[in-house]
Amino acid sequence: MLAAVAVQPHEVVLRTKGLVKRFGSITAVDGLDLEVRRGEVVGLLGPNGAGKSTTIGMVLGLITPTAGTAEVLGRDVRVRREDALTGVGAMLEVTSFYPYLSGRDNLTAIAILRGGGALARVDPLLTRLGLAQRGGSKFRTYSLGMRQRLGIASTLLADPALVILDEPANGLDPAGQREIRELIKELAAENRGVLLASHLLYEVEQVCDRVLVIKTGKLIASGTIAEVTRGGASYFEIVVGDKARAAQILRGLGVKDIRETPTGLDVVADPERGAELNRALASSGLYASAIIPRASSLEDVFMELTEPESPSASPTS
Amino acid sequence: MLLIIALAAVGIYLLVYLSVQAQLQAVRTGAIPSQPGGEQAMSQTLRELRPDRVQGFGVQIVSGLGSVMIIVFAASHVGTEFGWGTFRTLLAHGAGRGAFLAAKALSLALYAAVFVFLGVVAAILGSYIVTAIAGEAATGPDIGAITDAGRRLYYTLLPYMALATLIAVWSRSAGAGIAAGLVVYFTEGLVAQLLVSFNRDYANVVNYGLSRNVGALIRGAAGATTIPDPSAVGLPDQGRAAVILGAYTVVFLSLAYWRLRSRDVTVGG
Repeated sequence: MLAAVAVQPHEVVLRTKGLVKRFGSITAVDGLDLEVRRGEVVGLLGPNGAGKSTTIGMVLGLITPTAGTAEVLGRDVRVRREDALTGVGAMLEVTSFYPYLSGRDNLTAIAILRGGGALARVDPLLTRLGLAQRGGSKFRTYSLGMRQRLGIASTLLADPALVILDEPANGLDPAGQREIRELIKELAAENRGVLLASHLLYEVEQVCDRVLVIKTGKLIASGTIAEVTRGGASYFEIVVGDKARAAQILRGLGVKDIRETPTGLDVVADPERGAELNRALASSGLYASAIIPRASSLEDVFMELTEPESPSASPTS
Repeated sequence: MLLIIALAAVGIYLLVYLSVQAQLQAVRTGAIPSQPGGEQAMSQTLRELRPDRVQGFGVQIVSGLGSVMIIVFAASHVGTEFGWGTFRTLLAHGAGRGAFLAAKALSLALYAAVFVFLGVVAAILGSYIVTAIAGEAATGPDIGAITDAGRRLYYTLLPYMALATLIAVWSRSAGAGIAAGLVVYFTEGLVAQLLVSFNRDYANVVNYGLSRNVGALIRGAAGATTIPDPSAVGLPDQGRAAVILGAYTVVFLSLAYWRLRSRDVTVGG
């Protein structure tokens, strides 16, 4: 186990204000404000090209923001980059190490770069990430999962206050994914802040205290999982032929949140109103093939928030 | 790579010795007609292969091999960091861009020093081998003159190292760095040579390039080669050559730093 960081609990370890990045005419990140505190895991969600990796790049000083600031432990990354990054361990989406060096030697090289007590952490981290047996093997011989583990190990060499993980479970089998989830929870328990960018919504739901959903560079939702999923709001999936008429009937019952789907309607309503909805449709001569009660998951909300505009999925109200 | 270069230096000594010796025998036996002064020139070339002349012929061989070697090695040393994505990894772990470039330049400079030492030792070895084959008594090498020539040789490698580094940083590719570096090396040297052979006045222009200034420093070493070279006419002054080569090194590395510093590092480098 790594030593817990002896600092203020809940201290803000990462704060961005109005972060903007434009590549020519394309705005990759558009006025992003985010905050990560010690002891919490913040999920950064968004579809491909949403700006997650660009945001991480700006936080690490790899990409120069067009506007706005990123501060790590109160240090502006643009002004005091090297100083700010002493408190950060980051694993990028593509894990890259020297292919001709062993996993251990790669970690040693980074530990020398990091200084401090990083060298002493090399072997414990190899053990912690399940790489002790293959630590002496060349990196080029590693499987994708082993590369990911080595990448995660490298983030912890500096005993960081902030850990940034970009798709850490890529290439890991289910058991490996579970181990990574446990590890992320441990990192938060050690009073580190964790920023997790992931496509695995189940993983995010399991480990994140808060999530930020971005789309085309803009923050479109944020909060705890319960807040973002509206407390797992219940809805009914109604399979029905005449969608427009069904929607009209249901709106007459006071139901406001109705969305068209390819097979019918998704209707947000209390679970006990199922019979009432069914009766109203039937009394108007509309017989639903199915009325299925469901609860919103993070995946549902994510899809709803990030789906491209299309006639079949547009709200009916 | 260093071993290959060292073997190549020895091999060139043997090839030159065997080829000149064969021509000399052919002239002496009447197999080929003798040109006026030809036999004397060939004997002069054979004398240049002796250990006491390593500061001339030997250093010129090492210079030619070294320029190519340093371009290939520098472009690989820097370019692979972008290809492997390790540049991005290093930056993400807190390395500075300036520190990265400084570390690369320093390690390349050390590598060039090791190369010059081994190359010169290989040339001395080659000279002893051909002297032994010729059955002549070897005169010991002039260490002072060789040290002076080696120092100049080392200095002339630096602008090529900086050039290859710049191209590799700019293109983020080892292959592009090697290819473009070698094209510049061979083309610039060839064009300079051709222009001067057409009209000596062109020397005023091409003497601002790399190859002519390298030639001035190498040929200006104490006891440098005495083999006549028509393309060496009008070479710049040694002091000026040193300043121009130094300026190229500084400018190339500064441009590399500027590019490295100003660029967004997205994928790879």
